[in-house]
Amino acid sequence: MKTYCLRTAPRFLFISVLLALLLVLAAGAGAVSPEGETVCIQCHGAQTGRLGAPVAAWRKSIHAANGISCHDCHGGDPTDMAMAMNPARGFLGAPKEGSIPGFCGRCHVGVKEDYLASAHGRALGRGGPHCVTCHGNHAVQKAAPDLINRKDCTRCHDYGRAEEIKSAVLDTDRNIAELTQSLTALHRTGIVTKDMDDELFALRNRFHRLFHNVDVERVRNQTAGFQGDLLKIRGRLAVIDAELKRRKLWGGVVVALLLIGGVVALLLHKSYKKEK
Amino acid sequence: MGLGNKITDYLDARLGVRDILEQNLTRYLLPRNINAWYTLGAVLLTLFAVQFATGILLLVYYHPITDEAFQSVQRIMNDVPFGWLIRTVHAVGANVIVMALLLHMLSVLFMGSYKSPRELTWLAGFLLLLLSLGMCLTGYLLPWSQLSFWATTVATSSSRELPLIGDFVVRFLRGGAMVGQPTLGRFFALHVMGFPLLLGLLVLFHLFCVRRVGISRPPFGPDWRPMEPLAAFRHEEHPGGIPFFPHYVTKDAAIIAFFLALELWVVFFAPGLFFPPAAFEPADPFVTPAGIKPEWYFLWAYQTLKIFPSEFLGLAVQGTAVTLLLLLPFLDRSPERRPARRPLFVTAYILGIALFVAISVWGHFS
Repeated sequence: MKTYCLRTAPRFLFISVLLALLLVLAAGAGAVSPEGETVCIQCHGAQTGRLGAPVAAWRKSIHAANGISCHDCHGGDPTDMAMAMNPARGFLGAPKEGSIPGFCGRCHVGVKEDYLASAHGRALGRGGPHCVTCHGNHAVQKAAPDLINRKDCTRCHDYGRAEEIKSAVLDTDRNIAELTQSLTALHRTGIVTKDMDDELFALRNRFHRLFHNVDVERVRNQTAGFQGDLLKIRGRLAVIDAELKRRKLWGGVVVALLLIGGVVALLLHKSYKKEK
Repeated sequence: MGLGNKITDYLDARLGVRDILEQNLTRYLLPRNINAWYTLGAVLLTLFAVQFATGILLLVYYHPITDEAFQSVQRIMNDVPFGWLIRTVHAVGANVIVMALLLHMLSVLFMGSYKSPRELTWLAGFLLLLLSLGMCLTGYLLPWSQLSFWATTVATSSSRELPLIGDFVVRFLRGGAMVGQPTLGRFFALHVMGFPLLLGLLVLFHLFCVRRVGISRPPFGPDWRPMEPLAAFRHEEHPGGIPFFPHYVTKDAAIIAFFLALELWVVFFAPGLFFPPAAFEPADPFVTPAGIKPEWYFLWAYQTLKIFPSEFLGLAVQGTAVTLLLLLPFLDRSPERRPARRPLFVTAYILGIALFVAISVWGHFS
């Protein structure tokens, strides 16, 4: 038994070291190539002009950042080049103006409802604005109050009412943005923030849905409720922040003690040297 | 008489421990011009001990099952008392160890300490570096995050470029066609048992070589002369040197304290330094995250694969570089160790470091 072990041990050592070497060399490729791109992106991304432009615009969009790809909106088969744009595989193509709210509203359900009930929605098809008018299409960015601005709104009407809505939502929206940033930072330290993330995401959606009805009074009345909910999340964040500060304090003490210990050991070493 | 003395007397009467302690501590003399670079061995021993201890604690709560691994790490970070500290120390410690290993290797190279009669010490040390990198890679998969999953997927894929055996090697590493439960199982086994066992044995052999051959004298000062080639084994003595204890141990302790301070500073004040955002998302085989990069110590290898027209060529270059370093003492046989008298080596050494840094930076920004 002993002989057997002694004979196999070097072989085991050799195989394992070889495996480590192989893993180490292989590890160099630890980056992800764009493999897994859909056929839509492969084909349109290679084209220039009108047919290629949507891919470049989409790559910078909030949709791309969240993994929403061409087929999620336009349908079709993203895995089969020949059948990708076949209606039999659910391909919808680009919507006509009147069906744009329905097109986007398949995901943004609440916003669609409030929009359709608003003055904007009621004017759909008669020169009234729709989703793309304010948000753009393929280059769609994260919704922010800056989308309400003099330049865009005055394309159709006076800015006054729009400005009132903007000032009513600005504070709450800034709060939501700050909290989102804080939660992201916490998430980056390994703290589970999913509950708060989900809560804030839902709140943000409800809030953004609210001002799609373009009713200033309604926005003002409901903003207090949103602020209250945000305060609750902020309170939970404050508890976590306090804990993190405590950790840093103790961490600082430990690091300082180690540094002092190191310096003392060095001084001791020097004193031994002098004795010699 | 104190309890300590009583215990020592008891052990001394039976095992002669006083003699052992004297031989290895107070009567163990080191060269008078020994410098701080020689403390890196003790630093690494301490850091490995910290990894071992935190690793055992993590094992208590970690589940090596794809459905549960990510959640178990989340639980360690959020619910287990001091779990965040243990996990972060373990993850940051891996990076600090690689840093210390590289510094240790560079100092040995610069002072020519790898040369005869210390070829085996170098060989064991270099294998320790490779094993440590293997430990880092296998440990990377265990949290089963997006980063773990995709880094391992691509890392194992590149082995496919090996001629004839490529596909076999990929399946062997993954335990199947894709990264999945079999991969996690074998990486877990290697990370917590296979590699640490080998690492422990190699550390013992490395220390045995260091103690048996004797500490090499730093090749500096006017009276340093190259050693004559050895006809038979001879322990290198340093008469008139400084005792290991308490003299040099205080220096060891100081540098160890500074390294631990650095590690804990990162743990407490920059815990996200070594964690990209994908490290906090659960693995999803259907969503490929954009721009995942390997850890800083693998960036050189990552970029090398991109520089060459084929991945096989890149792998061959990496393999050649690693093999050359591994076998360096058998190739560089001149007894001269003084850097000033080895201009060719020192030039290659500086260019090598510059190349490593430049390719790594390029890899980071590419």
